Amino acid sequence: MLHEISLTVNGDHYTLAVHSHHTLLQVLREQTGITSPKRGCENGECGACTVILNGLPVNSCLVLAPEADGAVVETVESLNKGGTLHPLQEAFIEHNAVQCGFCTPGMLMSSKALLDRIPNPTEDQIRDALVGNLCRCTGYLRIIEAILDVAGSCDEP
Amino acid sequence: MRAFNYCRPTSYGEAFHWLAGADQLVVPVAGATDLIPRIRDGLLRPDVVLDIKDLPDMRALTPTDGRLTSGEGVPPGLYVGAAVRMNELARSELVSSRWGVLAMAAASMGNEQVRNRATIGGNICTASPAADTAPALYVLEAAVCIKGPDGDRTVAIADFFAGPRKNALHRGELVVGLTIPQPPEGSIGHFEKLSRRKAGDLSIVSVAALAVRTDAGYRWRLALGAVGPTPLRSPESEAILSESLTDEAIDRAAASAYGCCCPISDIRSGLEYRQAMVINLTRHAIHAVMAQMPTP
Ligand SMILES: Cc1cc2nc3c(=O)[nH]c(=O)nc-3n(C[C@H](O)[C@H](O)[C@H](O)COP(=O)(O)OP(=O)(O)OC[C@H]3O[C@@H](n4cnc5c(N)ncnc54)[C@H](O)[C@@H]3O)c2cc1C
Ligand code: FES
Ligand code: FES
Repeated sequence: MLHEISLTVNGDHYTLAVHSHHTLLQVLREQTGITSPKRGCENGECGACTVILNGLPVNSCLVLAPEADGAVVETVESLNKGGTLHPLQEAFIEHNAVQCGFCTPGMLMSSKALLDRIPNPTEDQIRDALVGNLCRCTGYLRIIEAILDVAGSCDEP
Repeated sequence: MRAFNYCRPTSYGEAFHWLAGADQLVVPVAGATDLIPRIRDGLLRPDVVLDIKDLPDMRALTPTDGRLTSGEGVPPGLYVGAAVRMNELARSELVSSRWGVLAMAAASMGNEQVRNRATIGGNICTASPAADTAPALYVLEAAVCIKGPDGDRTVAIADFFAGPRKNALHRGELVVGLTIPQPPEGSIGHFEKLSRRKAGDLSIVSVAALAVRTDAGYRWRLALGAVGPTPLRSPESEAILSESLTDEAIDRAAASAYGCCCPISDIRSGLEYRQAMVINLTRHAIHAVMAQMPTP
């Protein structure tokens, strides 16, 4: 069955006809053409599909499409909307926190959500926030270092 | 995913009308973190998925000074709507103030993304023996508030879990929330779980302990998860600990906890390991509670 939904993705407004049994991940990738949320496990385990939904990081593979009616969604494309990279993106590059890049959009959205909630997280808080984001090539240390770097720089006036 | 319809009623009348449909399978959904994987795996084939999150009071999280409780003489406590999410529980000052064992259990579940979606109603309705909020709700002696087309009823949490993936709901009923009595001032709770990863996975064994403050000392409650067809209390361990907290008593209490569980082997752990870990985790939980007791 089709539902007409309206949602805001990265500040842009969309009105779409979506299937009941599709997920937000499918809607983003197939109907808005925003392909940064990746389809990994489709089971809530890997976090490659992480987006920020109404301010909270969630697995878009576990959100039914019609539920996104009225939602505000942020994907990694929102981070460099003005044409300049977000400090987290700069730090990921600087710390070589990206290899194949498949996990990176999800990692960045989880990190962004963490910094929105706790501007100066401890390493433990960072690890906790990333439990649901798996990376199979970079390893987690560089990613954690990159986030710590940005978190530390929030101290500066 | 296999096709189904989706509806999101805003009144119970509308919800029960959908749920009464005899010719189709109508399945409630809250956070969908359990439901979507089960539909994907072909374990469930709903015709309609009924989103309960917009029904009245499903998201309430409030002290019960009479409001929102059905029965007479309900003690002051906490009312948690069925659609309250794990991170809301884990980060609520109200919950941590007196029901900390529940906040700890909620914080231990899955990962950040899952906790932002998974609800307490969904967690208990799965009736998984490993449902992590269950041991906490057992020691807090929560009651499950159920609404159906024929009226409301309340079921003790221990009677709500009927067997692996079997709950006490009748066809067409919904869980609307839980009432949780307030433990007396000075009570101490702790939740501990063991999983394959340090975080992000279901429990191999989980333990909740609550030392309820009394005039004479503490009355203990102890519940275990993932080691039987349902979560369970260990009455013998509770009696031992309420009597004495010597090392010898703690050993006997842990042995009694081992005695009352009947675990299985599964993908997460073998039977023998589970049994051994019941003893260890029970001990940890007891010591963690004792560490918070004021020194006389
Ligand atoms: C990656 C991952 C990790 C997980 N880790 C854990 C963990 O560590 N510990 C743990 O306990 N669980 C874990 N889970 C399982 C799951 O997230 C939880 O059980 C969660 O609380 C389910 O809640 P939900 O709101 O998402 O339920 P849903 O998926 O929406 O529903 C679950 C079931 O309950 C029924 N239901 C839901 N609400 C109601 C209601 N109000 N009335 C009647 N029926 C209802 C649904 O029909 C369905 O059958 C994990 C899941 C994932 C994907
Ligand atoms: S694709 Fe959503 S968590 Fe893996
Ligand atoms: S960079 Fe390849 S999965 Fe993380």
